Amino acid sequence: MPPLLQFVIRRIFYAIVSLIVITMVLYAGVMLTPPEARAQLYIPRGKGGDRASENYMQSLIQDHHLDDPYLVQFGYWAKSLLEGNWGYSPTLREDVLPSLLRRTPITLELALYSLLLLVPIGIASGLMAGWKPRQGFDNTFRSLAFFGTTMPPFIFSFILLSVFYVNLDWFAPGRLTYSVSLEITKDTFHNFTGLVTLDSLMNGRLDVFWDALKHLVMPVLTLSMYHWATLGRITRATILAERGKEHIVAAKARGISERRLMWHYALRSVLTSSLTSVALSAAAIMTGVFVVEVIFNLNGISEVLVASMSAAPDATAALGFSVYSVILVIMLMLILDIAQAIADPRVRDEVLKT
Amino acid sequence: MRRWRIFFSHWENWLGLILVLAFLSGAVFAPIISPPDQKNPGPFKQVGRTSDFVPHPPTEKAILGTLPGQYDVFHTLVWGMRDAIQFGLLVAIGSFLVGVFFGSVSGYAGGLLNSLMMRIADAFLTFPPLAGVVFLQQLVGISITALGGIYYFNTQVAGRTISFQNTPPTLVTFVSRIDPLLISLILFSWVPYARLVNSIVLSLKRTDFVQAARALGGNPSWVIRHHLIPNSISPAIVLGARDVGSAVILQATITFIGLGGASPWGALLSMGRNFMIGPGGSLLTHWWVFLPVTLAVVLFGVSWNLIGDGLNDILMPGSQTNVRFRPTSTPLAEPDAQQALA
Repeated sequence: MPPLLQFVIRRIFYAIVSLIVITMVLYAGVMLTPPEARAQLYIPRGKGGDRASENYMQSLIQDHHLDDPYLVQFGYWAKSLLEGNWGYSPTLREDVLPSLLRRTPITLELALYSLLLLVPIGIASGLMAGWKPRQGFDNTFRSLAFFGTTMPPFIFSFILLSVFYVNLDWFAPGRLTYSVSLEITKDTFHNFTGLVTLDSLMNGRLDVFWDALKHLVMPVLTLSMYHWATLGRITRATILAERGKEHIVAAKARGISERRLMWHYALRSVLTSSLTSVALSAAAIMTGVFVVEVIFNLNGISEVLVASMSAAPDATAALGFSVYSVILVIMLMLILDIAQAIADPRVRDEVLKT
Repeated sequence: MRRWRIFFSHWENWLGLILVLAFLSGAVFAPIISPPDQKNPGPFKQVGRTSDFVPHPPTEKAILGTLPGQYDVFHTLVWGMRDAIQFGLLVAIGSFLVGVFFGSVSGYAGGLLNSLMMRIADAFLTFPPLAGVVFLQQLVGISITALGGIYYFNTQVAGRTISFQNTPPTLVTFVSRIDPLLISLILFSWVPYARLVNSIVLSLKRTDFVQAARALGGNPSWVIRHHLIPNSISPAIVLGARDVGSAVILQATITFIGLGGASPWGALLSMGRNFMIGPGGSLLTHWWVFLPVTLAVVLFGVSWNLIGDGLNDILMPGSQTNVRFRPTSTPLAEPDAQQALA
């Protein structure tokens, strides 16, 4: 078996273990509530609220084994999750899973563009700063990175909104301008992926694409700022230690140009640890995505969270959201891990050989 | 003593220490600096007409101006320090204790049990804290509703309100007082501590003095308490110092977006947001709505980061300063990648 495939299979196995552990912790939280409250997770559309009689609740408890020991209950709950029955949310007036799936492209678009912006810039700037420490670029980098890590993202988003929306009116919160958002609901506009930027290009609608990009600037910038700075710092620290290693010195002695040394030799050795650090902070990035969605009024999956808090207790939505966001984070980690394995020459060269 | 000389030879550490002491004294002397309203004590104080929804610039009565509803900015700023210090320290100490305990016990056990325990710990890394906060609040909400109480969540300022028609059981009152944000932050931020301590304990276990302590017949808990934890705790202390700041910033963020938490600073920003980013709003015309709180939040984060960097220098000589995470300790994927090759 090629090593990369082996690696991927092992990663997927770990991802499943993580998912099981986290869902068990979540369900252990649910177990702290009385069975009558747990039964609310299973109330279907139109049966909740005052209409739910005492007998009906008892039958729900019977049907879903809510009086059984923890592990049995967890098993039945996990089975219903796998079957796609994530419950009905009274505040959303919709089943939880479809409403999460419908909102996913917006969240995905935001996370995708932020990662595409912050990972290359973070690694490149950290590399350039660490290669020649305490000089021109490094000083700029360190003060910018200090700003990036100390400025809380939600306050940074204020400054952006105040300057670029309220005063200059260049960018706006929301996903699309209202008139443009009507355009994409027309029959002539085909939804291929759900990502507006991609769909508009596939439809050949540059005006929609431009509008979508303008609405993405501020959230993507807010999201990238903090994580760019941390990633850059980690890369810088790694390269500082890496710069004096034998293989770099030997390559230098053989007369390899500074630029090639930096972008070819040094980059490879820092790529692994940098991507690992991004993978480790995937959950923090996801929390950042949700916060930015709320602040910039993007109706991504965090809308479910906000809706669930707005009215009566709605544990179905919150539980579904938690499970779903864990799945998103796990997938993000998986992608970054595989990217890191591909970037790692020890793994990649083996793959090319076979 | 030499360590402390090194610590005090850097101006950054002085700055961090002075800022932290300033926040601490603000927290301790809050009732003296800004006396609370006798009728309505707490971090918020209304001065003037409560139906006046225009923020007023600084006056003698409210030295940093007022917010819509005539909430005194200075009062909340000072009382917010109390909440911030308390919350930050609780999160840091809580996750420190859980992480150090888990990491050292797992490292001492070693072998298959260690890899299983650390795998479970890694699973916690995949959970976004924001989802945990909301989930826990929903759990508290449905439990209280099921017990016959009334649970009401206000996304604006007040946060959650819980009331009971009859006197509830003591346990329920106790549970309803705990901040779900605190629990959720501890639950999902102890893993880095466990990983740091674990990697050091694993290498310490092979050293002669630990082997000798075990050969002398020391029982596991004694070896862990007297040899393993004291020798592996320094990086966790550094991480803890930095976490105080980031926990408070996260708390303010979550309060600001209206999903729970009880940060007075976050509530200040959320109350004044229309005068900053609403139509016609500007950061400059209503500066007192925006600037004081922003400075407080930012300086709070900076001060604990500076302290962390200073502690990093004295506790772990030879390491780089200004590194938020230490990627060289145990990267998640690296050993696995090597195993895959082997």
